Amino acid sequence: MLEGAKSIGAGAATIASAGAAVGIGNVFSSLIHSVARNPSLAKQLFGYAILGFALTEAIALFALMMAFLILFVF
Amino acid sequence: MNLYFQLDLYLYNDNLYLYLESGVVPSPLEQFEIIPFLPMKIGDLYFSFTNPSLFMLLTLSLVLLLVHFVTKKGGGKSVPNAWQSLVELIYDFVPNLVNEQIGGLSGNVKQQFFPCIFVTFTFLLFCNLQGMIPYSFTVTSHFLITLGLSFSIFIGITIVGFQRNGLHFLSFLLPAGVPLPLAPFLVLLELISYCFRALSLGIRLFANMMAGHSLVKILSGFAWTMLCMNDLLYFIGDLGPLFIVLALTGPELGVAISQAHVSTISICIYLNDATNLHQ
Repeated sequence: MLEGAKSIGAGAATIASAGAAVGIGNVFSSLIHSVARNPSLAKQLFGYAILGFALTEAIALFALMMAFLILFVF
Repeated sequence: MNLYFQLDLYLYNDNLYLYLESGVVPSPLEQFEIIPFLPMKIGDLYFSFTNPSLFMLLTLSLVLLLVHFVTKKGGGKSVPNAWQSLVELIYDFVPNLVNEQIGGLSGNVKQQFFPCIFVTFTFLLFCNLQGMIPYSFTVTSHFLITLGLSFSIFIGITIVGFQRNGLHFLSFLLPAGVPLPLAPFLVLLELISYCFRALSLGIRLFANMMAGHSLVKILSGFAWTMLCMNDLLYFIGDLGPLFIVLALTGPELGVAISQAHVSTISICIYLNDATNLHQ
């Protein structure tokens, strides 16, 4: 019973990845848009995009961390 | 029963051979276990020399040795070798970051904050990278350590803010041009968001490191279980998960570097907010 509930909880925690996927897609689509408009800024914009990517990915990892905590700690 | 016995033997004897024989993959969180090497207790305080302490000392000594050898004999050569250009790369990288983020201050003041930010960046970078070596320990995957770092930095930044602006620093909590009835809510919200910075700075680094390392461990567990099936088909198919683990190590290294970068940028942004107050 507890095992099953744990698995359901961990599975439910991974739904949050959907939001992170949208976020990361948004970051890179904006990067492509901006570079298409002004290719000379490509290098600078790529730096910002990587920063945004890392910040967004961190949120996805919060969810992953929750799943791990549910599965292995409790 | 047998499984637990084998696990116990592995845990207590730390005997790799038995672990390999059993083919049982322990919990992926086991790699974060803190083992006291020199148990010490002063009163109620736990002052043991543990594996995080060892690896932090290792990181520090590695960085110091690297910098020492590069700057030996009155500073490096005009044509740098690989090690010297690595150190120069790191040293060039941080001032750019500081100058970009902490705007509106004179060069002098930026120089004042640079050493602290440089040390934070180097420490995080080498801790993260050292954790990628198999069988080593990732210091930054413990929120005890990352939160300790981020809270002390947060307190330091608040002190710097009060030192530079006096009580004007409190105007940080209320953006200009806000209608008066809204002010109490906004002050509360800004206060929460300001305090949450300390938490998010530490948790972000910890979550990235812990999740990445657990992921690699889980996937290599898949590969290991497949290898232990004693079947030719599985043995050939084992190359799949093994290759995924190998490929995942690349992004993992990228995360190790970019998280050190992101933490440093966040610190610079917070410092800029504290010294320049929303300008």
